[in-house]
Amino acid sequence: MRKGILALALCWWASSAMAVGNIDVLARTCNNCHGLNGVSAGTTMPSIGGLPRGYLSKIMKEWKYDKRVAATMNRIVKGLSDDEIDALATYFARKPWVPVPQKTSAATYAKGKATITENCEDCHGATGNDPDEGAPRINGQWAEYMALELEKYREEEFLMPHRKMKKTVRKLKESEVYPVSEYYGAQNQ
Amino acid sequence: MTQAFDRRAFIKAIAGASSASILTIPSAHAAKTKARVVVVGGGYGGATAAKYLRVMDPGIEVTLIERETLYTSCPLSNEVISGERDIKTLQVGYKGLLKRGVNVVHDEVVNIDPAKKIVATAGGKSFDYDALILSPGVDFNFGTVEGYNEQLAQTKLHHAWKAGPQTLLLKKQLEAMPDGGTFIIAVPKGPFRCPPGPYERAAQVAMYCKHHGKAKSKVLILDSNDSFSKKPLFEQAWKELYGYGQGGMIEWVAAANDGTLKRVDAEKMMCFTDFGEYKGDVINIIPPHHAGKVAKNLGLATFKNLWCEVKPENMESKSQKDIYVIGDACVGGELATNNGFPKSAHMAMSQAKVVVASLVAKFNGLPPPEPIYTNTCYSVVAHDWGFSVVHLYRVDNGQWVYIKNGSGISPVTLGTKEAPKPVPRMYRKLEAEYADGWLRNVMSDAFL
Ligand SMILES: Cc1cc2nc3c(=O)[nH]c(=O)nc-3n(C[C@H](O)[C@H](O)[C@H](O)COP(=O)(O)OP(=O)(O)OC[C@H]3O[C@@H](n4cnc5c(N)ncnc54)[C@H](O)[C@@H]3O)c2cc1C
Ligand code: HEC
Ligand code: HEC
Repeated sequence: MRKGILALALCWWASSAMAVGNIDVLARTCNNCHGLNGVSAGTTMPSIGGLPRGYLSKIMKEWKYDKRVAATMNRIVKGLSDDEIDALATYFARKPWVPVPQKTSAATYAKGKATITENCEDCHGATGNDPDEGAPRINGQWAEYMALELEKYREEEFLMPHRKMKKTVRKLKESEVYPVSEYYGAQNQ
Repeated sequence: MTQAFDRRAFIKAIAGASSASILTIPSAHAAKTKARVVVVGGGYGGATAAKYLRVMDPGIEVTLIERETLYTSCPLSNEVISGERDIKTLQVGYKGLLKRGVNVVHDEVVNIDPAKKIVATAGGKSFDYDALILSPGVDFNFGTVEGYNEQLAQTKLHHAWKAGPQTLLLKKQLEAMPDGGTFIIAVPKGPFRCPPGPYERAAQVAMYCKHHGKAKSKVLILDSNDSFSKKPLFEQAWKELYGYGQGGMIEWVAAANDGTLKRVDAEKMMCFTDFGEYKGDVINIIPPHHAGKVAKNLGLATFKNLWCEVKPENMESKSQKDIYVIGDACVGGELATNNGFPKSAHMAMSQAKVVVASLVAKFNGLPPPEPIYTNTCYSVVAHDWGFSVVHLYRVDNGQWVYIKNGSGISPVTLGTKEAPKPVPRMYRKLEAEYADGWLRNVMSDAFL
């Protein structure tokens, strides 16, 4: 009896260790574009380590099932199972969020701050570190990546499912897109 | 009595010595060495393997042997030719790997003894290994085009298919080309390093001409193949941006239309196919290539005597135990269906990570992890126009399986087949921007 349970436990341990091992192998392929531990070194690619599990998994499934536009990621996730996507989300959610230090000018920063106070703070918080309404952290996310993301929201025909985000961002002037991105990008903590 | 005393003293002395030496051994070395891995070639494949071995298990001793002290990335080097990018942004040294605890040796490997498991270098050093990872990239065969040789590649008819001095020389030739001149790119029969590379280069050269007062010039692609990677995307972009085909700036001659370069006259700057002859102002011959010599000379290039065959589950050579071949030097994927592994930096890194996972499991007595291979390759045809191809392979029953629904190119059109709609320019702009983000991430993920 006891032996049976032990064998079962060992089996379970072995198979879950296998599963963990496997997701590590898959997750390391993401590092090519998102960096070791999901901390991106490229200004146009997002850091993903430390974002909430639910957010990561939701976004990837929206891509997989054609409910959200992407230039590259939608094709990458199509070959993954929903379970793999969930496991990847768990893997990256467990990593720490590392804001990247970024520079901006005082004038741009001030312009960005004024714009976000009026339009974005309710959901993203004053520094992007304390989001609400299911928004991800954006403090110290790469500004260039965020500006490109905002451009996606601004294209009318691009399918970006969050209605309020889309409405808010489409209200911005073109000249405000970079300042708001640089403002949140410069929140290095 | 004396004996007992002596023994105690002896034991004490040993204890003292060993605790002292433990204190002086740097902490990274304190862990017992589980295994010694030697990596040959510090390009994208080798650097990634060396780094990840150390990241995943500091108990593994890793020696990386690389000829050069500075690596120049081929990816995005076509942008150097067109003046869009400074070559310095493509260069990286080996300090990052040293910091990870990799023993970096700058030397050339000249001999490998698989029976004794020893690697020997031109500098007279030798290294024992438990596992050997070869990522030597490619070497060229200059003999297939009559009138062409290695010397000419260095002095006049540059290939620039290894980024570095030739990339800058080709750039100079383009700058010196008169308006109305012809830039010839000769493509070898596949598989070659970077399947979309020659066609990206054609676009970058055309872009340079368009923006630098040479709009009457031509880019002529003489191809030894009948199709190429991301063809509909390239043709669409060429047409829209530079003019393509008769009267356009870019012209492509397929092998079926007598595109195969047979002979070159470097003196007269003439290219000859079976029936055609073309005068070039710049002639960029990409010679056919094969697995790097160090792997080929060892007899590992069992695929058509060109490329190294490896096992799908862990990239171990099919002909030598404990030797793993990754990167451009290997062949893999579904070869029978023409869905072989593309020879790309992204793929080389993916393969490196599979080997590392497999070796770390092996040296720790764990079951082998399931491998997975991914590729993404961006091409940049103008500063605001890029696109990509994605590949996914899994291993099933010891065979590579190309996962079709996890692979594919950027959309050529949107809408339906019956009512296609053009792809908004924003898509192309995004992927041109992402290409730069990709480059910085791969360089960092491999070398830092
Ligand atoms: C123009 C161009 C554009 C490209 N664009 C892209 C792109 O956009 N995306 C992409 O993913 N790929 C691209 N590639 C392909 C990419 O460069 C290769 O696939 C990649 O470099 C392969 O990595 P590797 O480790 O196999 O070989 P390499 O990167 O060539 O590294 C091999 C290393 O081994 C060393 N070496 C060889 N023999 C020895 C020896 N005996 N002893 C010591 N050292 C040795 C060499 O010095 C070299 O540093 C491009 C290639 C070209 C030419
Ligand atoms: C070839 C580069 C590349 C690879 C490999 C890659 N990504 Fe991405 N990733 C991108 C790009 C580009 C974006 C921006 C979205 C787009 O494609 O338009 C992105 C965005 C994301 C986002 C959204 C981040 C946010 O803040 O909303 C997530 C999550 C993500 N990727 C997860 C992954 C995972 C998990 C993997 C590994 C299975 C992976 N990516 C592999 C390029 C890549
Ligand atoms: C009503 C709440 C709300 C408002 C207002 C709002 N956002 Fe968002 N934002 C979100 C949510 C929720 C998401 C995640 C969307 C999703 O899951 O599809 C998001 C996503 C983003 C992202 C992408 C993050 C990533 O990692 O990819 C950026 C950048 C962003 N918002 C910036 C802004 C800016 C700048 C403003 C103001 C101009 C703003 N948002 C206003 C809720 C909001």
